[in-house]
Amino acid sequence: MAIGISGYSAYIPRFRIKKEDYAKAWGLFSAAGVAEKSVMGFDEDVLTAAAKVTKRALESVPTAPEKVTRFAFASTSPPYVEKLLSGTVLYSVGIPNTAFCSDHTTSTRAGTEAMIVGFEHVMSNPSGRAVVAAADAPIASMWDSIEHALGAGAAAFVLSGDNLIAELEGHASYASEYFGERFRPREAPYLHDLNVKKFAEGSLLTNTTRAGSALLKKLNRKPEEYQHVVIQQPDARVPATVAARLNFTDAQLASSLVSKSLGDLGAASVPVALASALDTAKVGDKIMVISYGSGAGSDAMSFKVVSDRKTQVRVQTEMDRKEYIDYVKYLKLKGAIV
Amino acid sequence: MAHVSVPMYWRTIPQRYKMIGQKCKKCGAVNFPPKGVCKYCQTSSEFEEVQLSGRGKVHTFVLISAGGAPPEFAEQEKAGGQYPVAIVQLEEGPKMIGQIADVDPKEVKIDMPVKAELRKIYTEEEVIRYGFKFVPG
Repeated sequence: MAIGISGYSAYIPRFRIKKEDYAKAWGLFSAAGVAEKSVMGFDEDVLTAAAKVTKRALESVPTAPEKVTRFAFASTSPPYVEKLLSGTVLYSVGIPNTAFCSDHTTSTRAGTEAMIVGFEHVMSNPSGRAVVAAADAPIASMWDSIEHALGAGAAAFVLSGDNLIAELEGHASYASEYFGERFRPREAPYLHDLNVKKFAEGSLLTNTTRAGSALLKKLNRKPEEYQHVVIQQPDARVPATVAARLNFTDAQLASSLVSKSLGDLGAASVPVALASALDTAKVGDKIMVISYGSGAGSDAMSFKVVSDRKTQVRVQTEMDRKEYIDYVKYLKLKGAIV
Repeated sequence: MAHVSVPMYWRTIPQRYKMIGQKCKKCGAVNFPPKGVCKYCQTSSEFEEVQLSGRGKVHTFVLISAGGAPPEFAEQEKAGGQYPVAIVQLEEGPKMIGQIADVDPKEVKIDMPVKAELRKIYTEEEVIRYGFKFVPG
């Protein structure tokens, strides 16, 4: 049975800060290729953003929230370390209390992790409806250069066995043991990174290329058969490095390279980028998706676009709706002045 | 700060998270937030729950500036600046007070269409109190 994505949507908070404002404050901006990034408002967090995209994704099908049988939430920056998170979203959107829900929170791979559990649900429950919402606004110390790239955004997908926009052709994963790159010890409020650049790049390339090439092999595909490749975007340069290693081109990356104007969206990076690729994809297009989370793991998914139906709110529209803030207002909104 | 205990807040989450209103079984008017006795016919206390659309328009509004915010919203005003508070006429009839979010305060106008969405209202006892605010649309 064919399963896939039957609805999707993204949400980008409207505040933006430009790299020039960072350069003015710190003398440099350390997120490669990022020109500006998105920032959440004072009264938003990943749960309010997830509620918004979940509603929008359901409306894009349209599917009534009462029909949802599985809900998965993904974020690396939840407001609580312990407490069910998905329940807040499920309840506010009107998804039945009896739908099985899960929280995916420990790495930037969480977005695709949640998508794959959603697909597994639909695979074993052909009349079921899964909703996956990824929302993130990662937090680091203002003194740490890893903070510069961190943006904010969310995307949600309705997964089902009918009314498809994009059919899932297959998925593959790779997990391994790495450390020292982007981690948060139990007692730490902020992300740590030991800044061992070459070692971290080795982890990123190993995990992503192994997941990606395993899927290509499984589907007996060549990179040039894809019109779009969506890759984890910790900045705007990493995707090209991974793409080149797998013999994908910059042209295949173009439809999903949102980090140039939104920054690092953490667990929502691949979901928002995939929504962007779906916005411009034509029937028959193939989309390769490769996520990455430090620690480390990567998921690859392959989609074939089967319908021209689009969501009502395009990622580009969300990116164009913006209000610039300066660095002082940024510090206030991030709660960095206490 | 006006203290709202956790159980007291929890009892109001159907209205705060989902905008569940009450339809009077006698006169048919929609009450929101819920009442003990229908605000309109003032005779019936029999209601059925109705899901409100969250859509409405700005009936009137005020901008809260420095010094004007109640204690639970003072930090919001300091971090984000002036914010609008409106009386919104919901499409089902009731008028409701709420903040207007996601908007330049200077762009709020009477009769502007708005819709409700989930936001953080404030935090008390380390518990984030979520509820609806209105956004343009």
